[in-house]
Amino acid sequence: MKRVRAVEPWIEDPLVRFVTEAGARLTLIMTPAGQVLAQHGFTRAVDVMAAAALGAAIVSSTREIATTIGEGAFKALNHQGIHHGIFLAEMSTPRGPLLALVVYGSESSVGLVQLFYEDLVQELVAACPGEEPARPVIAADFERDLHKSLASLFGR
Amino acid sequence: MSLVNFTTREITCKIVYYGPGRSGKTTNLQYIYGCVPESRRGKMVSLATRTDRTLFFDFLPLELGSISGFTTRFQLYTVPGQVYYNATRKLVLQGADGVVFVADSQARQLDENLASLQNLQFNLLEQGVDVRTMPTVLQYNKQDLPADLILSPSALDAALNFRDDPSYPADALTGVGVFETLKSISELVLKKLSQESPA
Repeated sequence: MKRVRAVEPWIEDPLVRFVTEAGARLTLIMTPAGQVLAQHGFTRAVDVMAAAALGAAIVSSTREIATTIGEGAFKALNHQGIHHGIFLAEMSTPRGPLLALVVYGSESSVGLVQLFYEDLVQELVAACPGEEPARPVIAADFERDLHKSLASLFGR
Repeated sequence: MSLVNFTTREITCKIVYYGPGRSGKTTNLQYIYGCVPESRRGKMVSLATRTDRTLFFDFLPLELGSISGFTTRFQLYTVPGQVYYNATRKLVLQGADGVVFVADSQARQLDENLASLQNLQFNLLEQGVDVRTMPTVLQYNKQDLPADLILSPSALDAALNFRDDPSYPADALTGVGVFETLKSISELVLKKLSQESPA
């Protein structure tokens, strides 16, 4: 099985269980702005970011449509294709709202994903440590590294 | 808001290219996409209409490399510039760490530039963000057009750059000013991050 990678360590165990039980091929846990907190099944970080951006956009735009028609919010979205299905849902945690994007194949089903998604949400809410205090991030003299990185990006 | 992972020492920042319709926001991302080696960028995602006008956003993920010991990634987004797509502009603006305002240098587009700047301020305020605290860079695009059609960078500074933000003349089609703009907004975003949590 492909490895689960979690930016926030408390997400890892619940996500491993979910992926195993639901038979998900790809899974992303992200913020509503599309920042990835944990993923399973992707190979390149930049591909994860694109999937997260699109998933967050779908949830955001659907929420706006829901608001427009007085629905409040949709609990989850599902798109079923011939070979793959995608399941998108928003959950509330002590860290604020998070989104889950799950891609499943013929070895699973939307019912199975939904069933174990409920468990995933409960486990994440229980494991979530709440807001952490601010910590030092980057040194004030980051400019040299940044200039070097950008110059190599643009071949200068 | 930047996502910082202390365990794996990773930073991900979101930069939004804002501005009126046809000012060159997508062209900036296309130029960057064309310049950057494949190993350092993801696929450029464009949600556009059949006539290639941005409908929702363009998205380009970049791997900057190691900065102060953190693997740093930037997510570049554009918003749809056309006035009636404000709902989607607001969605894309959520969680932005920095804004590049791409202005159209043509004299006849000045009102559109001003309206878009006001729209940016309004949309940020609606999300509880004071535009004065948002790292912002202005780019005066299409400076390659005949001089009688465009305003000079100093005239555009006088008309648009109320907060004395960094500004760059550009011709995004050929890449003039694109790199300088990205470099400048990257510096501002990371500087804010270092000031918020001094190491």
